[in-house]
This record gives sequence, C-alpha cells and structure tokens, in this order.
Amino acid sequence: MASLPKRIIKETEKLVSDPVPGITAEPHDDNLRYFQVTIEGPEQSPYEDGVFKLELFLPDDYPMEAPKVRFLTKIYHPNIDRLGRICLDVLKTNWSPALQIRTVLLSIQALLASPNPNDPLANDVAEDWIKNEEGAKAKAREWTKLYAKKKPE
Amino acid sequence: MGNVPGKIDQEDGYNDSRPNSSHSASSLADKQYDDEITSRVRTRHTTSLVNNILSGNNTRSRASSNISGSSRRKTSREKELAKEAHAKQLVVRCNETVDGGFLAPFGCYSFEKLDYDTTVIKNLITKRKLAPFYTPLQDFDESWTRDELIKIVDGLPLHDTFDEKLEEFEDVPIGNLRKPTYNDLIDKSLSKKEQRRMHAKIFRARLYKKRILWQENENESFLEKKLEMRQLGNKANSFGDDNSNRPKTNYHLPTDDLKYTLYKNGSECPICFLYFPEPFNYSKCCQQPICTECFVQIKRADPHFPHDDVDPTDPPTNDNEKDPNLLTSEPANCPYCATADFSITYQPPKNRKTGLGGISPDIYVYKVATTEKTNANQPPASVITSDTIRPSWETKLNKERSRLVRRSANATAIHISNRLIDPNHSSRRNTGHSGTPIQEESTSTSRSPEPTINEIEDQMVREAIRLSLEDQDNQKKSKNKTILRP
Repeated sequence: MASLPKRIIKETEKLVSDPVPGITAEPHDDNLRYFQVTIEGPEQSPYEDGVFKLELFLPDDYPMEAPKVRFLTKIYHPNIDRLGRICLDVLKTNWSPALQIRTVLLSIQALLASPNPNDPLANDVAEDWIKNEEGAKAKAREWTKLYAKKKPE
Repeated sequence: MGNVPGKIDQEDGYNDSRPNSSHSASSLADKQYDDEITSRVRTRHTTSLVNNILSGNNTRSRASSNISGSSRRKTSREKELAKEAHAKQLVVRCNETVDGGFLAPFGCYSFEKLDYDTTVIKNLITKRKLAPFYTPLQDFDESWTRDELIKIVDGLPLHDTFDEKLEEFEDVPIGNLRKPTYNDLIDKSLSKKEQRRMHAKIFRARLYKKRILWQENENESFLEKKLEMRQLGNKANSFGDDNSNRPKTNYHLPTDDLKYTLYKNGSECPICFLYFPEPFNYSKCCQQPICTECFVQIKRADPHFPHDDVDPTDPPTNDNEKDPNLLTSEPANCPYCATADFSITYQPPKNRKTGLGGISPDIYVYKVATTEKTNANQPPASVITSDTIRPSWETKLNKERSRLVRRSANATAIHISNRLIDPNHSSRRNTGHSGTPIQEESTSTSRSPEPTINEIEDQMVREAIRLSLEDQDNQKKSKNKTILRP
C-alpha cells in the first residue's frame, strides 16, 4: 500500500484534536482514506435534532480531486437523492485543492440549512419543495424523526 | 499486416513511404474517409439498402483498420517514445539544481499525473521565473539547532520512495527491460483488440519500472557524491588546511551553509501541507503561496460539455447527442479565491543564486538576505499561468472533439439503419411530426456553419439510403410488374 500523503495525516489529526462543532469524522482502521462521518442537523432547519451518518472517501488524487461523500441516513432533501448522493458544487466543478475535509463537511451542513430546489438532484423532492414548501419541510422533519434520531447517550 | 511494433526497420520503411512525417490527424481522417466512400460505393451496387448500411459499417471498420492499422502502429510507437522521453525528464538529478532546488518533482503526486511540459518547466525554473522543486520536509520544528537541521537535510533523498508493487501492474509481465521489444510477452491467442490492450498495459508497466530504475541510478550517484564530499571534508579538517588540496571536482552538492539557509526559514504549502524553503510562488490574484509541485498539478478542466442549469422537467440529454463543437475546457481557477485564469508570480531569493546560472552550490557561504522590501529596481515578476506549462491543451481539446465527431457519425449510421428496419420507430427528435428520416437529419445537422466530418458522413449515409431506396423501389416495381403480367 502506498504511504499516506502528509496532508491526509495532518487533516485527520486536526479533525480529531480540534473537531468541528456538530460534526465528527473518523478514519477506518484498515483504510485511512475512508471516513465515518456524522453531521448534526442545523438548528431551525427541518433536520434539527437529527444526526445524519455519511461516508467520505479520499480518492488517490485527493486533494487534486474532491472527496467522495454520501449520506447513509435516509434524508428528505432536494439536493440529496435516494442513494444519498449529494448535489453540491464544491464536491464537483467548484472543488479546489485548497478546500479540506472539514470545509466540505461544513458546506454539507450549510446545505441542510438552506436547500436549493432550483438545482435539484432528487427531482420529486424538489418539485414538492417548490409547490408546497411547508408540506415538504414537514415531511423532512418527519423523516428526520424516523431515520436520524439521536441515540440516547 | 507485417508491421509489428518494435521491428524498427520495417517501420522506417513505412515511414519513408509516407508523404509527410507530420501527418496531421485530419488528413489521415480524409484518407480513411476516401476509403469509406469507395467501400460504400462498391457495396451499393450489389446489396440492398439495409444490408448496405449494416455491412457498410463492417466494411468501414475493416477498411479503416487496413489503411490506418499500420500507420496507427507507427504513431503509437512514436507516442511510446515520447512518453519515455517525458518520463526521463521527470528524473530528479542531483547535478541539475537551481538555488538549492531541482528541475523535477520530488514525487508527492503520482507519476501519471505529471503531464505538464517538462521543457517549459525546466526553462522557467532555470530562468528563475518559477520556484524550483525543493525536497520537502514532512515536518519542521522551530527548536531544531543548526546542526540538527543540517543533519535532517543531509538525510533527505532525491526523490520520494516508489510504490514498487502497484496493484495495477500486478501479474503484468515486463520481460527484459534492456530489450526494446516485448512482443514475445503478448499472448497471440488473444483477439487483436485484446493484444493491443495487453501491449499498452505492458508498455505502462515497463515504463513505470524503467522510471524507478532511472531514478535509483541517480540516487546512487547522489549518495556516492555525498560520501566522497564528506570524506574530503573530514580530511581537510584533520589536516587543518584550507581548500588548497581539494580537487576541483564539482559535486553540485550544497554546503552546510546552503542547507541551513534553505530550510531555516521555510514554510508550509497550504495544499500539500509539506514544508519547503522560501520563497514560494504566489498566486497573482490573492498573493497566496503555492509550491511548484502543487502548481504543476493545477490545470484546465478536461474537455466536457458545458454544465447548463438543468430544468427538472426536461429529459436529460445524452452526451452522445450533443454537438461536439460545444465541448469546452475552462482555464483553471485560483484554488484559493476561485479567480479565473489562475496564474502565479515568483521573486527569486536574493541571498542565494546557486546551481544552473549561479555559483556552484558546494562553495556557497551564508549571506543575510538583503532586506530591501521595495522592488523599485526589480524587474516586474513574470506571470505564469496553468496554460503556460501545458501548451498542448488546445490540441487535446480538438482531439477530443474530433473523437466525438467520429463517434457520433458511427452512432448516426447505426441509428438510421435501426429506423429503417423499424419504420414505426421514432426518436425523441421527430416526435410530433412525421417526416422521412432524411429530412429530420438535415435539420439536426445544419447547426454549425462549417461542414464537419460528421455532416459529410451524414450526407453520405443519406445518399446511400436514397439510392438504395430507389433500388428497392425499382426492384419492387419490376417484381410487381412480373407478378401482374401473367
């Protein structure tokens, strides 16, 4: 196995020693490029009080290539599809090697706070969101309760 | 086809027969195209319309493999040689230094990602318009003493360690690297396509191995020089004499003073997080530092179709149906502030000018950097863009365009033949109005002002269809007549 680039080592250390509030990211023991991530739903969003599990993978060309991130927890959101794939510019065309794991996860948290139904990934959810925003948000809250319940500590 | 890659004499013979060694892709396509026309015209007389198009595809591929087969081999051999030459330029050489850095990267990024123009980069570095490739430190500790720092720098290799056993090349035979040919390694029982694929794979595996060996050779001579220089230094010290007895060999190795000057005041690159000697390259737009190794990784997007805002109610368009002329490739953005047309500037260090274009690094004595911050008399720093170091980006884009043009021409031919077989078949394009496929095609191809290969191809197909429709009609008529007569 090729040695892990210094950048990934340093980023991982920082994520553990100085975690982002509301976000955790831990590398797998047998693959240090693969992270288990949790993101808390932002306050005053339909995802409040939910804890969402994600997986994050750093491809060989990271940081020249964006990390691959996917929701594992079911979520009702116009920019996240049934498979958990995320439509977010910094994960695709607007990726920059100056961004980091932590900035990407913060962007995802911000996406939960402000969904963008005009650039959808899940078309049905986006349509719902545009036609009946309150109803869609209610459904998102319901799904959050159903699938992203915080486990009692 | 007696033309086997590696049998150089045969290839040369072939080369002589070619009108022009800088045979452009388009003229090759023309030639191929002529052949297609003849093959189509030939078949038209004998077979019916549908057969014509279906078999036309076959004849075409056969014809093109006949004419371009040998010439393609030739160019692929040329490409292989160019790749080898490129890989050789990526070897870090200890006698090619500029201000304490090198002309080739240390190896933070994988070998196949080093696709920049090595000549351009080497020129820029020797002209002090771009920071050299320094050997990075994984970490730096302020508390290190001079001796500790020098010891650490002494232990630095020329190049990062290689991954000797890449998964990709597992089980790929490489044969004897000294021999230029390796056809005996290719399983002749495989199909032609498979053989070609195997050939390419073996080539890559061999090149990877060769690259490691070239660098290891260089590493060895680097170590030998280091040892010799140290022994000389010890001798000089023990005899207490100055440099008078020292032979005038140029070891190209840095003095302790140079090592200390380099690494004492370095900083971390914000992209690879490695510690490098100053001065860095700075982004022109936002004045952020970037090491040369990261800079050469930043490039234009690969050719792609524009990302338009997709209307969720629209059906997604297949890339195959898009106009290849729409393919674009935007210049790289600044990684820090996303300003378009990323470019950097570089001011060479004032307290050292060693290696190529400077004094030998083995006689460098420590100098305090002059602290004149105002650059009144300084020539303006030259600006290097990501395109400067990859001048071939436009060729690449055009190549990809013509590849798509060819592909969509093939697709169109198949598409039309399918429609002819099933007259009820309607594509998304012609729902709503019923016209002959011929008419529809003409509307869809009249987009670009200049006829592309695609359009000429379409015209040919249309003509072929029209002729064979006529043929069929005539046949039917004559049949009907013969039936009606008695």
